[in-house]
Amino acid sequence: MKIVKTMLIPVVALTMIAGSFGVAQAATKTVKIGNIIPLSGPSASVGIQGKNAREMAVQEINDAGGIKSMGGAKLEMLYADSKSDPTAGVSAAEQMINSDKVALLTGCWNSAVTYPTTQVAERYGVPFVVPVSVRDTITERGFKYTFRVAAKDSWWTRDQFAFLKDMAKETGTKIKTVAFVYENGDWGTGFAAGWKKLAKAAGYKVVLDEPYPSTASDLTPVVLKIKRAKPDVLFLTSNASDAILLTNTIANMKVHVKAIIGSGGGHADPAFLTAVGKNAEGIFDIGEWETDLNKPGVDEANAKYNKLYGYNLSGEAVDAYSSMYLIKAALETAGSTDPVKLRQALADTKLCSGPGSIFAYKCIDFDKDGQNKQAALVVVQIHNDNGTMKRFTVWPKEGRHAGYTPTFPMAQ
Amino acid sequence: MEIYIESLLNGLLMGSIYGLTAVGLTVIFGVLKVINFAHGSILMVGMFVAYWCVTLTGMNPYLAIPIVVPLMFYFGYFMQQIVIEPVFKAEKDVREPITVIIVTTGVWYILDNLALMFFGAEYRVAHTSVTGKLFELPGGIYLLQPKVYGFVITFACALFLFWFLKNTVMGKAIRATSLDRDAASLMGVNQYRIYRTAFGIGTAACGLAGCVLIPFYYVYPSVGLVFDIRAFIIVVLGGLGSIPGAIIGGIIIGVIEEVGAMFMPSTWTELVIYGLFLLLLFVKPAGLFGSKQDF
Repeated sequence: MKIVKTMLIPVVALTMIAGSFGVAQAATKTVKIGNIIPLSGPSASVGIQGKNAREMAVQEINDAGGIKSMGGAKLEMLYADSKSDPTAGVSAAEQMINSDKVALLTGCWNSAVTYPTTQVAERYGVPFVVPVSVRDTITERGFKYTFRVAAKDSWWTRDQFAFLKDMAKETGTKIKTVAFVYENGDWGTGFAAGWKKLAKAAGYKVVLDEPYPSTASDLTPVVLKIKRAKPDVLFLTSNASDAILLTNTIANMKVHVKAIIGSGGGHADPAFLTAVGKNAEGIFDIGEWETDLNKPGVDEANAKYNKLYGYNLSGEAVDAYSSMYLIKAALETAGSTDPVKLRQALADTKLCSGPGSIFAYKCIDFDKDGQNKQAALVVVQIHNDNGTMKRFTVWPKEGRHAGYTPTFPMAQ
Repeated sequence: MEIYIESLLNGLLMGSIYGLTAVGLTVIFGVLKVINFAHGSILMVGMFVAYWCVTLTGMNPYLAIPIVVPLMFYFGYFMQQIVIEPVFKAEKDVREPITVIIVTTGVWYILDNLALMFFGAEYRVAHTSVTGKLFELPGGIYLLQPKVYGFVITFACALFLFWFLKNTVMGKAIRATSLDRDAASLMGVNQYRIYRTAFGIGTAACGLAGCVLIPFYYVYPSVGLVFDIRAFIIVVLGGLGSIPGAIIGGIIIGVIEEVGAMFMPSTWTELVIYGLFLLLLFVKPAGLFGSKQDF
């Protein structure tokens, strides 16, 4: 009797496994998408935001009937935790391509992980959609299978200057001199190098170029230098603590410029606005996306996301969300998961409207290196809205917060 | 020209406040002969106590001094008694107890992480009645009122401590212990009570610095690191254990930082400060006001 029992278990188990294969084959086809994102470790919170956005998009796509050109095939999401570690990302990519047989990959947020992981996908010839990872060189290696949706790192400074030019033109303000004040780490000095080139090209005179240690206990000397240099426009790259000190000291010392333009980071930190209050009035800041963007579908998508997960969409989440709709569009065109056809379809896809197009720029449209050439950033102005300091989108003009007129030059 | 006067005045004001943040460190070193690595964290605690006192009651930050300073004194007094004293007793034959230094490092980590647990990592700014208020001097020179008050309070605090150590029985006992702890014990001074009091005075000075900083600075759990290293340099520059040395040392650093930055990128002023520091260690290792007798 005992032998029968012990024999029975594997037999039943085998039958069940075989049965499940049968069911899978009988049901509608699925398209496997491998996602390598940080779900634990230092970047986990941003990774989870991206995962939630992907889930929301895939749910919508599957509910709307899946991929119609493939007989209503559903999207199936597989996740691997990169832990922000390049080695983990590379081995996850190997495994997803060889064992899981995914049709395409997405990820990895951390540029350091995306860089080698896209290399694996390129070697196997599997399309890789990169929603966000800012390092410029990711799409500068002549890869055929890497497609990046978000803007490159160097486009942040490009768009700060584009905004300044547009704004000066719109309001008829003359801008002659600029000042650069930045934290002396990788981030700040990288931005400053970009600014210097752009200022030269635009014909602005640089009257101050001042790095400062972001651990400084007092930034009064830096502010006094700004006061002495009297620039028209002040560009800043600051972490949270120094953004607070600079903003308060600039207000206290009564330093007046036509515009202060931040670079995200400390200026985008929610603690910044509560800490400086009214002193932040009129400051411009650049970012990937804003919830008040004036575009169809933005409010609905954000409300849904907030209801599901309890917080607002972020730039990272929007890029992940839109990427799923991009993948859907490409699969519709390709009509199969054949990597060569899918790659061609991704390269040809131009996603400009419909669900998923809640990004701040016009279209997702790739150049020959797989970079979304239309990707751009948004500029906001911080303004006192009935006692609370809020960020109002002002640029690009078509996305401007409905009914908001930017104050440019800043109020004196 | 005005801009240079403005930066010089700002350097004087900010430097005196740096001096105040270093007073606690120098007092504790002078008596206990221990480098208190938890100094930055104690300053952070002082800032948080001042912050909550001002934010919850909406009171003037300088009226909070009579509340914050005694609170911080007893905080230090009992911390010395409960945490540091047992280690001290175990090493009582050594002039500079190394284990105590390690204990203070532990206290640093514990305080920082407790603050992180209770208050979170965000930056907090107190909006007090003097925040952002200015004194306007002729020539368009602006001085921040809280910094001017901080300057006055620093000198008042230094004078008070000087008087206290010279003229009171407790002050004399503290000086005796700092000169020779064994001889002081033989004269009937309870050295452990002196250590507690000295540690209490050190933490109380951090509480005072907290009240001075709160109206124009931000608080967060690792804010101590911003002032910490600077306080060490100031104390060595001025002479370990010397209160006037700490104030003068602070002013030197403040003036170099502010005026120096007018002539070079502000990242370079640190180079000047550290260079001067090394030079002084070569020329006068005891510091500007340091002597064998610590007070």
